[in-house]
Amino acid sequence: MKKKNAAALMAAAMAASLLVGCGGGAASSSAATSTAESTPAESKVESTAESTAADGDETLTVWAWDPNFNIYALKQAEAIYQKDHPNFKLNIEENVYSDIETKLITAATSEDYSTLPDLFLMQDYSYHKMVANFPGIYTDLTDSGLDWDKFSGGKLADSTVDGHHYGLPFDNGASVMAVRSDMIENAGLTVDDFKDLTWSEFEEKAQKVVDANGVPMLTSSGGSELIIEMMQSAGASPVVDGEVKIADNAALKESLTVYKDMVDKGILAEYTDWDQYIASMNDGKAAGVINGCWIMSSVQAAADQSGKWAIVNMPKLDGIDGATNYANCGGASWAVSSNCKNTELAFDFLKSTFGSSVELYDDLLPNAGAISSYLPAAESDVYNQPSEFYGGQTVYKDIVEFAGKVPAFDCGAYYSDVRSALTDAVTNIVQNNADIDSEMQNAQDTVEFNIAG
Amino acid sequence: MTKGKKILAHAVLILASFLSVFPLYYMLCGATNTSIDVVRGKLIPGTYLVENFKSLVANQNLGLAMANSFRNAILMTLITLLVCSIAGYGFEIYHDKAKDALMSVLLLAMMLPFVAIMIPLFKMMSHWGLVNSWAAFVLPSISTPFMIMLFRQASRSFPNDIIEAARLDGLSEIGIFFRMFVPIMRSTYGAAMTVTFMNAWNSYLWPKVVFQSNASITMPMLVANLKSGYSVDYGMLMLGVLICTLPTAIIFLCLQKSFANGITGAVK
Repeated sequence: MKKKNAAALMAAAMAASLLVGCGGGAASSSAATSTAESTPAESKVESTAESTAADGDETLTVWAWDPNFNIYALKQAEAIYQKDHPNFKLNIEENVYSDIETKLITAATSEDYSTLPDLFLMQDYSYHKMVANFPGIYTDLTDSGLDWDKFSGGKLADSTVDGHHYGLPFDNGASVMAVRSDMIENAGLTVDDFKDLTWSEFEEKAQKVVDANGVPMLTSSGGSELIIEMMQSAGASPVVDGEVKIADNAALKESLTVYKDMVDKGILAEYTDWDQYIASMNDGKAAGVINGCWIMSSVQAAADQSGKWAIVNMPKLDGIDGATNYANCGGASWAVSSNCKNTELAFDFLKSTFGSSVELYDDLLPNAGAISSYLPAAESDVYNQPSEFYGGQTVYKDIVEFAGKVPAFDCGAYYSDVRSALTDAVTNIVQNNADIDSEMQNAQDTVEFNIAG
Repeated sequence: MTKGKKILAHAVLILASFLSVFPLYYMLCGATNTSIDVVRGKLIPGTYLVENFKSLVANQNLGLAMANSFRNAILMTLITLLVCSIAGYGFEIYHDKAKDALMSVLLLAMMLPFVAIMIPLFKMMSHWGLVNSWAAFVLPSISTPFMIMLFRQASRSFPNDIIEAARLDGLSEIGIFFRMFVPIMRSTYGAAMTVTFMNAWNSYLWPKVVFQSNASITMPMLVANLKSGYSVDYGMLMLGVLICTLPTAIIFLCLQKSFANGITGAVK
């Protein structure tokens, strides 16, 4: 019996150690803990980084995360730059985005920047927070000679902090509403009926589609993504000059009201799991989706639905000043790290490729589905090609047009705080029928608390 | 046991085994289906295994990741077993009050979450110029309180008579450890090896931080990379997970018996 008890105890301990083990083994040493107390100033930045370019060496190391998307883009950019610089080489390191942030934060908090690459790609929503907290990671790009006027102001705002540029915009995240044209036609409507609507008009028409097809009109990944896009479409920033504007945000209140109403009426279905959310589009369990245009690659994964989709702009909020049919979700920008030894080469590479090469963007659109934020690229022929999957619609031209109309929107350094506070609010409102006003006040208090902390 | 009880026990066991086997079955099915079929929840094996494998190999450096993972896990396992078994043996056989106190401190260290010491550890490694080397991966984990405790418990059941007899026959203390203790405690070593190997194989955060270059990619990192894109190929992902799971599964199955014995501290 004693042995049995021991076995049970050990099994429990093992299970616990396995869980911890996911984080790299239950490492412990008293030496490690004692260094935690030492001040960061003690550590010296080592200059022996292998990853950075030495004199005469034309190699740049880059961190990015998607082989079919941004890594593909880097390879194309490398090829273009090599035409004039035969010795140039990119050393591309694939890292999951959250790991890129972990590595950046580890380097910054240990004040050892020697492990950073020359260039890295960063999600736009992280810029303000990262630059504010860890300014030592970045090289200021303001005087790098890049032509900032060729990018849309809304996109640039994400990577600009206090008037200084820290990122060169890469992909576009303009919001689109992708809809099933066949399901809309089942309800006796046309795709054109879903263009330039307000949410109340949308709900009315969507109800017909729901009734005719027996599936919800929209699918949502839960959380606050769509709510933030709705708020943004009216340019109603939740943080203005460092002051939290959530509780008295009329656009937010309207967004939450519409969202809750659609869930109640069965127009919008929520999936809390990302994979199920994607499945709901591919599986015909929803007649449409609203998200950043990058969602289209997931929609297109269901090749058997070719010709059955169309892209329109999202509905706008009723009775809100400055409401539009346009928003943005996601997108990323290139940053130059403070560890870059050959900044001239890095600047010149960015300038000659992502900063000016229409040829590059022409290749990225059909082959990677990357929609450019470099404005002159949109005038190219490639953007006027009809897309078969969307029934011959010139979707890319439309999306670039949407992108140009997105109102400015700022969460400052607090995007993730706003996002998680609103996620709690949305969940409580939808799942527990909580009062919208009091939830908005809660979110306001939470974000204010985080900012003060 | 009455008949009713038996049926109930079986029902519970069948449910439990279904719950534990189903994810494995789903993984196998997924690896043989197209991405879109996986997303649609197809539950029967498909014919897309070869294509998934081709795109996995085209997409990621599978061989390199396998080789790295094996190198890291084997080195870590060998060094950890050596260090921890000697420590555990020492704690028990040369027992005194001070060592008991030290053991409690060690056990307390088990409570410390890894993320709390990650940044100081990284500073140490980068100060010593070890970033990107396997040593940086192995060093922080070669002495784990859990392993020392396991070997200490096991040493408790190691008959003192053997030590006495060996000493009389003139074997040195180190000799007793390597020629008496190690062969007799095989099953404990088997259990410790399984746990250490699995931990080393599956570890993600620390290797991700100390291995900065792509040349050091490990299997869990490769799997994570498969899910990092804007659109995920779920068939390929499932195959990646399957390949990543195989080595630990095989090792566990081979050492299953000694694992169960070893964890209870049996002496062979």
